[in-house]
Amino acid sequence: MSRLRITGGAVHDPANGVDGDVRDVCIDGGRIVASLPSDAPTLDAHGMVVMPGGIDIHSHVAAASVNQARRLLPEEHGANPSPAPALLDGEISRSGTGGTVPSTFTTGYRYAGLGYTTVFDAAVAPLGARETHAELDDTPIVDAGFFTLMGNDEYLHRQIAAGERDRARDYVAWLLKATGAYAIKIVSPGGVELWKRNVREVKSLDDPVGSPKVTPRAILETLTDAGNALKLPHPVHIHCNNLGQAGNVATTLETMRTLDGRRAHFTHLQFHSYGGERGKSWSSAARQIAEYLNSHKDLTGDVGQVMFGPATTVTADGAVEYLLHASTGKKWVNVDIELETGCGIVPYTYQEKAAVAALQWVVGLELFLLSGDPWRLVLSTDHPNGGTFLSYPELIRLLMDRTYRSDRLKMVNQRMLAGSALADGINREYSLNEIAIITRAGPARLLGLAAKGHLGPGADADVTIYARDADASRMFATPRYVLKGGVIVVEEGQLRRAPRGHRLHVRPAHDDVLLRDLGRFFDQYATVQLENYPVATPKDPPVWGSA
Amino acid sequence: MSRTLEHVTCLGCGCACDDIDVVVRDGRIAEARRACPLGSEWFGNGVVPAQVLVNGRSVDSGVALDYAASVLRQATRTMVFLSPDLSCEAQRAAVAIADTLRALLDSVTTEAAPSILAAQRRGRAGATLGEIRNRADVVVFWGVDPARRYPRFFERYAPNPVGLHVDGRGARTVVAVDLDDGDARGPVDADVRIRFSGAEELDAIGALRASLAGRATGGATEGLASRVGELAKRLGGARYATVVVDGEPGSAPNTGRSEALLSLVDTLNGVTRAALTTLRGGGNRSGADAVLTWQTGYPMSIDFARGYPTYRPDEGAARWLAAGTATAALVLGRWRPVTGVALPTDVVAIGPGASSAFPRAQVAIDTGVAGIHEGGTALRMDDVPLQLRAPLPGSLDTASVIQALAVRVGAMRGGS
Repeated sequence: MSRLRITGGAVHDPANGVDGDVRDVCIDGGRIVASLPSDAPTLDAHGMVVMPGGIDIHSHVAAASVNQARRLLPEEHGANPSPAPALLDGEISRSGTGGTVPSTFTTGYRYAGLGYTTVFDAAVAPLGARETHAELDDTPIVDAGFFTLMGNDEYLHRQIAAGERDRARDYVAWLLKATGAYAIKIVSPGGVELWKRNVREVKSLDDPVGSPKVTPRAILETLTDAGNALKLPHPVHIHCNNLGQAGNVATTLETMRTLDGRRAHFTHLQFHSYGGERGKSWSSAARQIAEYLNSHKDLTGDVGQVMFGPATTVTADGAVEYLLHASTGKKWVNVDIELETGCGIVPYTYQEKAAVAALQWVVGLELFLLSGDPWRLVLSTDHPNGGTFLSYPELIRLLMDRTYRSDRLKMVNQRMLAGSALADGINREYSLNEIAIITRAGPARLLGLAAKGHLGPGADADVTIYARDADASRMFATPRYVLKGGVIVVEEGQLRRAPRGHRLHVRPAHDDVLLRDLGRFFDQYATVQLENYPVATPKDPPVWGSA
Repeated sequence: MSRTLEHVTCLGCGCACDDIDVVVRDGRIAEARRACPLGSEWFGNGVVPAQVLVNGRSVDSGVALDYAASVLRQATRTMVFLSPDLSCEAQRAAVAIADTLRALLDSVTTEAAPSILAAQRRGRAGATLGEIRNRADVVVFWGVDPARRYPRFFERYAPNPVGLHVDGRGARTVVAVDLDDGDARGPVDADVRIRFSGAEELDAIGALRASLAGRATGGATEGLASRVGELAKRLGGARYATVVVDGEPGSAPNTGRSEALLSLVDTLNGVTRAALTTLRGGGNRSGADAVLTWQTGYPMSIDFARGYPTYRPDEGAARWLAAGTATAALVLGRWRPVTGVALPTDVVAIGPGASSAFPRAQVAIDTGVAGIHEGGTALRMDDVPLQLRAPLPGSLDTASVIQALAVRVGAMRGGS
């Protein structure tokens, strides 16, 4: 099916200024076109809502760390089997298992079933990139890419210590290309290396990491400047130091001030917006973060909302996971990854009756509701950390329906909510167009994906069509139709086709002089030969950079 | 005429050394430079059988695959078994077949199940091997001397290399924990030797944890307490400790050990930094665990009978075969017999040496060895994915043959 006219739907295409107008969306050859001959096949969307396909800017779906989490959770998989969907035209499909960390095929099917057509894995250790590509090859339908972990890599630290900014930039470019990645991810700059040295807390951005010249601040500046100098489509994607700690708002604001005037994306801000004092008290500091973000146009973020129910925390920030393990007694995986980064995993359930979980839930909602610019603060639950991607519809309902929200608020533990903006009452309700921004148009813009997140001519024909429903969670959980690259993958609410997704990656240029110095470092310290390190160039052309 | 291919990855054991130079002369491997004896044996001369047999008769591979598909489709219950020397690409196609046939699926990892099951119950604090190389200043070999089954472990990972944060052998303390049965002893040149009897081992680990956590050790005899005290002093005084244990079945099986050592390393991380290093055998068996996990959610012992994967960790290949649950077997890779168990009469075997391992199989297709005749991806024992190179051409590529079979049983799309 190469041509299709979607008729009669209320189109929400905020990137093109379309806010619920009833108009046709025309598709030819996998892309949106301005018009079609009158005899083109049609899809009747009368009374329905038409949006671009959803884009998840920050998820954990395909990485060695994710696979460690899968291996840790046989009990969850057993409770949520996922038979192979019945596809049309004898197309082959695969079974799997769900839970908070589904198997790869199930991940692809479930994202598509939710109306999401593009997903980024936000944390891939460079050394494990080869496995991520293989896992993504087994994740159908969605276009996918990943962010490669930097900021705790010892080669980078050496360049910072030596004042070799140019070489650091070349290294960043090389690493993105060598791993087939889309963007730079910084997790707790310097903090993972310190955890390996048994230093479990980053007290300030000026803490030395081996050398007085190598500090979280210097790492942040070096990588942010490298990303911007390389003109990458997505700037550095930052997980700040001190995730999940009471009082960490000071660290978060200091990080933002450090990067003032530079493009940078701050991820899962909910986990970084707490007042109070470590070991003593907790409070919401969402207002401070929202206000700072609102007044600094170069900075962007995603929320990392916590949703009540089961989750699995999986992060490169190993020190945090040890604390969670020690305080909950839940099983714990840690993997220190040579010369580069780390990985920690603890399964966790957010309970309404638990004071900290209730605070986290409130902080996330406050960030959404106090945000002055939906284009710059977009939706995420940091799947599966704050909750799974299947909880997005419930989150959308909380944003769109203040009555529902206040009913839910009454049910949660109130102990730490004194002075919170949400407890004081926020009337704001997100409109459908704002939902379209924080789940599609915004992420596409932040990621620099020109062909995604909108329905203008030339865009990828990734389209989600919802039947209207007063209950937004029901509406967004079960789209009536989903098109991916012009192929109808969900029809009448059922998954019907499962085409292969494309790999989204960049290929920046660098000076090959780097490789001599890097080769010496590899010879001495690495356990993989430099010649064996780069992954095969993805078959799909790069989104950005020279093929 | 000879040519040399550099940076070749060896799958002779789980160390997966990727620095081998393979010299090829007259179409055979003449030398595998830097390879250990185990690696040299694994590479051999690279000559493998190249037969395609249906009931012992040579046929075209297309005919054999058609017949294999019909055998598998007609079987009441097929078991797909992943032996060593398969690339991850071949393993992925194999899981597709098992899924579509609603088969039983297991791999050679079934023999190393205790350490995997323990880690599923308790979690696991580990590290990639390069972290050990660059950081571990205390290396405890718990009832294992890698010299025999993992010969280059010392040289590539610990304790010999000069790492970023720890100098070479002289700057590291090597502790051998000797267990009193068989050859379950640490390396001969250890700096410290501590012996536990089989009866003492779990008590010793418990007392060690208590000591590290600052609790009274209680109950231990004086002799045990002093040995535990010595070990606690070494481990607790480490900047970064690793406890090395063999994950493969050996001469001193102890079902409680895996879990006890996981707990020990967990406790140790409350005091200093530490990682458990679990040694695994070669042939990309870690890849099988990973591929099965990402496609199904489980690393081994999977039953697709219900149309989705179900975990059967208490069963596995040996039990399925012994109980006659499987009426047909699709054996992939380089066959290693499952201890004391006969395969069913209906066998389709695809892999290096399939024709000689299964001369009476309904279908036997000889293919190349992943890492010798074909490229792809393999996982080191610490789950680090590595590139495989192919120093020699092969007649049939394993992954392609398994994919072609997958297409014939409707498990994969043709031409993809």
